[in-house]
Formats: sequence, structure tokens, C-alpha cells
Amino acid sequence: MQVYLPIAELSVNLFFLVGIGGAVGFLSGLFGVGGGFLLTPLLIFSGVPAPVAVASVTGQVVAASTSGALAHYRRGAIDLHLALYLVLSGILGAFGGVAMFALLRDAGQLDLVISLGFLVLLGSVGVLMLIESTRAILKQRQGIVVRERLPNQHNWIHGLPMRVRFKKSRLYISVLPVLIIGLFIGFVGSLLGIGGGFIMVPALVYLLRVPGNVVIGTSLAQVVAMMAATTVLHAVQSQSVDILLAFCLMVGGTAGAQFGASAGKYLRGEQLRGLLALLVLAVAIRFGLSLVLAPADTFSMAVLGVAQ
Amino acid sequence: MSRAALLLVCLLVLVAPARAERLVSQVSNETIEITSSFSGERMNFFGTIIPDAGSEQKYVEGPFHVVVVVLGPTQNRVARQKTNVLGIWLNTDQVEFDNFPSYFHVLSSGRLTDITDVTTLTTNLILPESHTLAANSADWWKGAIFGRELVRLMTEEGLFGVQENAVNFPADNFYSARLTLPSNAPPGPYVALTYVFKNGEIIARKSEGFAVRKIGFERFLALSAVQQPLLYGLVCVVLALFTGWLGGVLFKR
Repeated sequence: MQVYLPIAELSVNLFFLVGIGGAVGFLSGLFGVGGGFLLTPLLIFSGVPAPVAVASVTGQVVAASTSGALAHYRRGAIDLHLALYLVLSGILGAFGGVAMFALLRDAGQLDLVISLGFLVLLGSVGVLMLIESTRAILKQRQGIVVRERLPNQHNWIHGLPMRVRFKKSRLYISVLPVLIIGLFIGFVGSLLGIGGGFIMVPALVYLLRVPGNVVIGTSLAQVVAMMAATTVLHAVQSQSVDILLAFCLMVGGTAGAQFGASAGKYLRGEQLRGLLALLVLAVAIRFGLSLVLAPADTFSMAVLGVAQ
Repeated sequence: MSRAALLLVCLLVLVAPARAERLVSQVSNETIEITSSFSGERMNFFGTIIPDAGSEQKYVEGPFHVVVVVLGPTQNRVARQKTNVLGIWLNTDQVEFDNFPSYFHVLSSGRLTDITDVTTLTTNLILPESHTLAANSADWWKGAIFGRELVRLMTEEGLFGVQENAVNFPADNFYSARLTLPSNAPPGPYVALTYVFKNGEIIARKSEGFAVRKIGFERFLALSAVQQPLLYGLVCVVLALFTGWLGGVLFKR
């Protein structure tokens, strides 16, 4: 069944859209990430113009993360105080990202920056996560009891000034790294059309030492709020949010996320992180290849705007 | 005196040409409506070549050739080229084409080069390449190369095309042509230009307009995205939050 997308101005098979929404939703529910880093490339690959794909996926990420965030909220697994700091700085970063997005699109370098951004971000995060989770799994196999990181274990970041107490995370740390993380994820997320959960979670765990029971919930809450703001920004700035496209993805995504979340209960934390690392690395390699391998067509075209 | 005589001769020549043909033509659809299930639309162009009113002819004499040029709304397009810089492929060069047609199909009753000469084809913008002559590039050669590539890319998208056997003559002076507008045909005003050729000369021409437009819900969405972007964005977010919440409620066990 074909459905015509009014903003993308092309017709796509409805089941294909709901299908990829569902598949990505399953993975996002499994790993507790938004799934934008998979969905945006998939859409671009299937012919949706890059600006429409990026802008519409932001809307989908909101939906995909909402049910997760609500579930975590009911369990009290969200540090709202910490999330507020992250969201405010994230929205500020999103302003920059959306402006940069328009600038790069007009200069014809958006595809390059998207590919490079995915390669660098996903590549480094993927490698780090893979090393960490493999280590954890190996140690566990050898029978070594892995000591959970204590929340009061400090690193240099905790020595910075302007300290604030985050009660739920049992942290008393400087707001500077929190704001910088939020700003960076807001910028990158709006530029690449991703929620940034896969950067946020490691950043919260390894840099801020946020305890594991509030990491996913706080990250999801931040993604919902920041991506909601980014959707509005994209709608106002580039008018490239396709509500019908986003809705089809949302329906598949929210359904898939529920199954993913229940499937996630059968896997251990480090196993989940290892699988996510592999997935992230696969996408990074895919983008890396597109940069290095000779393209099938060295020419491309784009519409700059409707002629007067 | 002599000037008046000359004027008279001119008038006579203009008013009563010995032979003249006229084209009566029609398009099957005046508006193509894009609905939620729009997957392209088939159109017909047909017409008759008849003696011009006031001419002495009782009937028209062929053989005629008919060329129908279908032009979509214009856009500013850019063609870009990737080159390998230090092992990475990136866009290094681009040429802009202002007022470039977003859709361009030529239907003809025979090979274009058999119907008339290239000059006539180019000056009447019948060849796809003739639209690329207005490249925004100081370098003419570069403009020509990028123009050719742009036409190729548009052809691969199904937006440009030349069909040299798409016009049929069921009778000597009656033609019909068929065109399938693809689902990615950009909405906007279209124009179909019909040229009648005889012995390589254009003897009659006519243009008809038709529109491709979104209707109903699709039109409403596309319009609100442009006219009320803030509200549109907020509605998107509310929809997303609602869908996410509903998903959580429905699937909760």
C-alpha cells in the first residue's frame, strides 16, 4: 500500500515505513537508545531527501523515547534535576545544530558532515563500549567478581568548580561538564538527526559516574525533551518535518520498542552493551566506507529552492 | 504613396497566406490531484491539424510530425561533483542552474533529429540539454559538463525523458500522445507545448496548462507546514508524545 508523503513529496510503501520503524524501535527498546542513528541512514538510503529524513526522525525519536521515559519515571529511575540541566543546555546546542544544518545544506557539504560525524562519533563510542563490555564479560567468565563503581568514586571532572548536588544520582559535581555534555549532544543530535542516547549513556556513566539505575531513565527524559524542541526548530527553520512520515515511523517504533524492552530483560547489561557496540560500529563502518570507497556516481543534484 | 502600397502588400500577405494550418489540441486532465495513494497518473494529449480559418485550403496535407513538450514548475537546482581529496570522497565542485524545470518530457512522433535540425530544437528548448545552457558558471565548458550530468541524473529519477515514438497518428491529421506522470512529479503548474512540424519547419504550435496539486489532507499538511510552521512543529511533538504514551499503555502487560 503506497502512501504519499506531503513534505518529502514522494510515495512510499506504508508497510515498509512501519516495518523499519518497528525494527529500529525493537533495537531502541532493547538498548534504551532512540534509534535515530539507525533510522536516519535507512531513510536516506531508501530515497527520502536527507533534510526531510533528519527532521522527521527527530519527531519519531520523541515518540520512541516517550514510553520508555514514562516507564522509568514511574519506577522513579529519572534524575529530573540532572535531566533539566542537560535539556536546557541541549536545547541551546540544538539551536546551533539546526542553524549549522541549514548552512551546510546550502554549501553542499551536509552529506559529508553527516557521514564524518557518524563515523567519528559512532566509531569512537562503539570501540570504547566494545572494549569495556568485552572486558566485563571476560572477567565474569573467569569468575572475577566485578565491583560496581561506587558513586562516590571520583575522577578529575568532579574537581571542577560550580558544584551542584544531584540527590537522586547521589552526586555532588560541577555543572560545567553536565552543561557541556548537554550542549554537545544538542548540537550533534540536531545536526545528525539522532537522539544522542548512545553518547549520553556512556558520558553519564564514565564521565559523571551517574549510577546505573538512573542512567537510562535520565538519558531518555533528556532525549524526549531535547528532540521535541529540535522537532519544533526544524519545523520552523527548514519546514522539512514530514508529519505523515514521522507518524508512520512512530507507530512502528513504539510498538517495536515494547517488544525490544521485554527482550532486553533476558540479556545482561554488559551483553547488551556489547551488542549495541557492534551495531554502532557496523553503522560507523558503513559510513566510513561511503567516504573512502569510490561512489557509484560522482555527480549528485539538489534543489536549492523554488524559483521566483 | 509607395509606402502605403508596401503596407498594403504586407497586410495582404499576412491576412491571406496561401497555406496555413492550425492546431486544435486538448489535454486529458486539467488537474492531477495528489491524494494519499498517489502513485502517478496517466495523461493523454491529443489534437487535430486543420486548415487555418480564412485560408484557402480545404484540407491539410502531411506528412506532419508532432512534438509535445511537457514542462514542470521551475526550481533552482545544483549539480555537484565529488572528487577524492586525501582518500575521502567529498563534493568539491558545483554549478547552479536557475529556473531549471523540475519535470521535462518530450513526446514525439519520430526521431527528433529526423523531424528538424538541432538549431530549431535548441532554440525552442525541445532538447533536455537546452535547459542547461543557463548555467550559473563563468566557465562555459564546466557548465556544459555539469548540465549534461544533471540531465542524466534527472533522467534516472524519471523526471526528464525523451520518448521518440510516443506520439501516434491514428489518422493523417489526428495525433494522440500518452504520458505517465511519475509519483515523484513535483506539484505546481505544468505546461504542455505542442509543435507541429512539416518538412522540418514549425507550422503550428499551441500550449496548454495543467496543474499537479495536492488536495485534501495532503494539501492541508503541506500548507500548514509552510504557513504555520510553529504550530505544525508543536502538533508533531504532541502527536509524538501521544503516540509514545499510547504505545506504552497498549502494550503494558
